[in-house]
Amino acid sequence: MVKTITEENLRALIDALLAEGKRVVGPHRESDVILYAPLGAGSDFAADELPRRSAKETLFPLCESILTYERGKDGAKITDVEPDRFPETVLVGARPCDAAGAPILDAVFSWDYDDPFYLERRRRTTVIGFACTAADSACFCTAVGLAPDATKGSDLFLTPLEGGGYRCEAPSAQGEVLLGAHAGLFAERTAAEPLPPARPAVDGFDLPRLKAWLDAHFEDPLWAEIAARCAGCGACAFLCPVCHCFDIVDEGGENRGARRKSWDACGFGKFTNHASGHNPREIQPQRFRNRVMHKFKYYDDKFGQTLCTGCGRCIRCCPVGIDLVEVLEQIQAEG
Amino acid sequence: MCEAGKNIYLPHLATIEEITQETADIRSLRLVFQDERVREDFTFRAGQFAEYSAFGAGESTFCIASSPTRKGHIECCFRAVGRVTGALQSLEVGDTIGVRGPYGNSFPIEEFYGKNLVFVAGGIALPPLRTVIWNCLDLREKFGDITIVYGARTENDLVYKRELVLWQERPDVRLVRTVDPGGDGPDWDGQVGFVPNVLGEAAPSAENSVALVCGPPIMIKFTLPVLEKLGFADEAIYTTLENRMKCGLGKCGRCNVGNVYVCKDGPVFTAAQVKAMPQEF
Repeated sequence: MVKTITEENLRALIDALLAEGKRVVGPHRESDVILYAPLGAGSDFAADELPRRSAKETLFPLCESILTYERGKDGAKITDVEPDRFPETVLVGARPCDAAGAPILDAVFSWDYDDPFYLERRRRTTVIGFACTAADSACFCTAVGLAPDATKGSDLFLTPLEGGGYRCEAPSAQGEVLLGAHAGLFAERTAAEPLPPARPAVDGFDLPRLKAWLDAHFEDPLWAEIAARCAGCGACAFLCPVCHCFDIVDEGGENRGARRKSWDACGFGKFTNHASGHNPREIQPQRFRNRVMHKFKYYDDKFGQTLCTGCGRCIRCCPVGIDLVEVLEQIQAEG
Repeated sequence: MCEAGKNIYLPHLATIEEITQETADIRSLRLVFQDERVREDFTFRAGQFAEYSAFGAGESTFCIASSPTRKGHIECCFRAVGRVTGALQSLEVGDTIGVRGPYGNSFPIEEFYGKNLVFVAGGIALPPLRTVIWNCLDLREKFGDITIVYGARTENDLVYKRELVLWQERPDVRLVRTVDPGGDGPDWDGQVGFVPNVLGEAAPSAENSVALVCGPPIMIKFTLPVLEKLGFADEAIYTTLENRMKCGLGKCGRCNVGNVYVCKDGPVFTAAQVKAMPQEF
């Protein structure tokens, strides 16, 4: 089913969803930065460029309570957070590299044990993807098998049209339901041509070849060389749409407080530190290696997917200028 | 595997029924689940671990140190070294703690039926073997000879001292205790020497035997060649890996050794499996 929707009606759709009591998250301009954030009205929607941070926090918040505890004279008591009460959410304007994150993260949060905090949000979230018509020098979705017009992870998918408005596809049944419920805001397909998709400058990686090198080179001088500059700040992991390491900590006093799940990063020095003081990943190159291995080997070994959508945020944000594309090109040249 | 929407991070509440101060900073807790249904339904296998919480401090990972053949309670054993273990140490009999689990794989006890067992442990690493030892002693007729080699730096650093006495008194167990040179008190009647050397002198037969080894990395490193010399194949040697964990459920991304998740694929591994892993533990 392919329809069109005007700019004005897209904003009206956001207002209608808000009026239904749904949480609507989308790109929002906050001073000079665009971030995915809860929108208060359709007029807040600002899809001018790739948001600074990924959309993963819509499904996997930076920090959330997983239980609360109270300690009194007659022992301790805990209260469940009841993840089945999360609000119905529409993520509108998700770029293809962000929308594609969810189907990748589904694997880790649903294997063997179901993580309800992620999965219940995911079940209640409809994603309206948004094609990219411009790329910057850090974009490399095409190099990892995605594309600026890839609909992976989107329930509805918008492509800007010449002369304004959007073409709207419904890649999933959930998208068709949303479209059907607001049919009056959509029109039949017109003759207007979609704007051509963005063209990231990076050539496609040979992912099986990359992985074959990683399979054989846990120990390699290359790791020390490429990670020499890494400061272990973790910014790459925090901005990544698919990095998902987390910590579990109690916050509050002895008598009452909350247990929280919060983002963590394998680049941090204490991440794997044992109580004894022994640390299996003692130096930064070992930690950097884990990040690359997890993305291009371990996640593939376990779930048959690459843990990277090519959004390029790790390249844009790195304070010491480490460029993952250069790293992968170097590895590809070795292999 | 679990009910849709169920909070997998929610611990069971348990009451501390008994505390044993094993050494100056190592403590054992005997725990009874507060919910009657959990008390009846909670089952585990020897080798599995749990996340134990002191509310307000957080969670810590230890093996379940009691035997699955002993119902009605579980036990854990820990050294107070950090924030959570320090808080656990400050709890008293009757206090409440949280327990999530059991998680991970276990020792394939049924595959050991009819075989001789050699346990080798050092220091605070006796608990993950103590669960297996009692499990096997409670099914004693199913196994051949049982040898236990256990050592610590000093006499005072040995844990489960009262049970060492019980094992020593049993005619169907051969217990060899050892302390490092200089670690013996005036009444010490065990061996003096490093565990791998004492194991070599005790020389248990590898014929129809399996060895279970837990200890500090340096002890394991020197024990494996001794076992090999005695004739044990890498597939007949079992150990546990103890990487740092948070979730215990294969999600939080911290305990992996290469692509092996210690919380899901372990913590029990054969020496053959460990040797195939990258050096990241």
